[in-house]
Amino acid sequence: MGIIQLQNIKKSFDENVVLKDINLSVGKSEVVVIMGPSGSGKSTLLRCITFLEEPDKGVIRLGENEVTAGNQPNKQRKATIRELRQNTGFVFQQFNLFPHRTALENVMEGPIVIKKMDRDQAKKKAIALLTKVGLADRMDHYPAQLSGGQQQRVAIARALSMEPMVMLYDEPTSALDPELVREVLLVMKDLAKEGMTMVVVTHEMGFAKDVADRVIFMDDGVIVEEGSSQEIFNNPKEERTKQFLQDVGEE
Amino acid sequence: MDFSIIIESLPPLLKATVITVLLAVVSVVFALILGFFTALARISKIKLLKAVSSVYISIFRGTPLLVQIFVIYYGLPQIDIELNPIPSGVLALSLNAGAYLSESFRAAILAVDKGQMEAAVSMGMTYGQAMRRVILPQSIRIAIPTLSNTYIILIKDTSLVSVITVTELLQMSTLIIAKTFEPLTIYLVAAALYWVVITFFTVVLDRLEKRTSRHVV
Repeated sequence: MGIIQLQNIKKSFDENVVLKDINLSVGKSEVVVIMGPSGSGKSTLLRCITFLEEPDKGVIRLGENEVTAGNQPNKQRKATIRELRQNTGFVFQQFNLFPHRTALENVMEGPIVIKKMDRDQAKKKAIALLTKVGLADRMDHYPAQLSGGQQQRVAIARALSMEPMVMLYDEPTSALDPELVREVLLVMKDLAKEGMTMVVVTHEMGFAKDVADRVIFMDDGVIVEEGSSQEIFNNPKEERTKQFLQDVGEE
Repeated sequence: MDFSIIIESLPPLLKATVITVLLAVVSVVFALILGFFTALARISKIKLLKAVSSVYISIFRGTPLLVQIFVIYYGLPQIDIELNPIPSGVLALSLNAGAYLSESFRAAILAVDKGQMEAAVSMGMTYGQAMRRVILPQSIRIAIPTLSNTYIILIKDTSLVSVITVTELLQMSTLIIAKTFEPLTIYLVAAALYWVVITFFTVVLDRLEKRTSRHVV
């Protein structure tokens, strides 16, 4: 059984059906890359895993926390979702760093507020994490003083500060200038090598080829095809996958 | 213009200016608290809170402050609620400014990028933790310019409580004019004192605004 288990996930926005009965299991230390045209539902799927988007139907399990979609919110359910979120590091396309806090404070925030860790310990930990993502010399900078690539690396460090079981990335390099993409992908690659379980929504084929254990191709709210990056990129079976790879290749 | 009259009337006018400033400061503190919680009520999902706060805002923004002062000071005694002039004035000013401030707070809370709330809760924060640690510190920065504006208007509005015999700056001026028959001189001095007070607070609040936004491009 996977560390992430999604069963029959359905999601609509008004009349627009975005996810049609998605099933997905991600194993420990597995790196899964989700690709697909825009509007295919890949970001929504990722956001459903941590209930940033509440699915209409389905069951989501992460580690030991299992939540059924569509249930009335109550204290117990909210607490389970919070616990599930604590075990998930989410990295946003727009970084979403806290602009009123320094890089260091951004990374200390979760452990102090949520885990009630004492300040000195949280600081030590944050310093180690920022060093790990190559920003030891930028710790006292505010987000506005950092480049996009640096901000995204701080965001990754912030997500790691909660010691998550899995990392979810929602197009982490799409908002970056081309020359800043590499530094972020390198950090993600290192994490993958350390055995972090990751689900990555991205258009970066090179990253998928190098790192992904499995590539999932989504279109129109369904998983069209999945397999190793070899299989998907060199020998796609479905017409829609071929078309997409052609479109991306022509860019 | 007779300068001796200015010099003679200055001490009582300065004393009255202190009353004006105190009225404004005490009222704005109550108004900030009231406005803050009203804003939270307005954006909450609880329908009753939403309704009560909306009605309150509508009433106090939709009627003249002078009428509100009269209702509180002259009207309430009829149902056995008797308040002295100063508490009546503070109550009216606080309720009035609170309605405006709540709209500033509400707009400022909604102006914080929704990615901030998502980032906070995606780490596992509760709604309350996210509000306190992430959203509110940013919305206060956004709100400061409109809060300053409301506060400046509040300082000027304190002159309206002169009609219920509070001896603030305007009432004191009128009393002095009754003795000296120098309306032009005395009212100009009063105007100058209002200007000094308002300019002082404007400078202070401008600095506060610059300080709080120094990290943000």
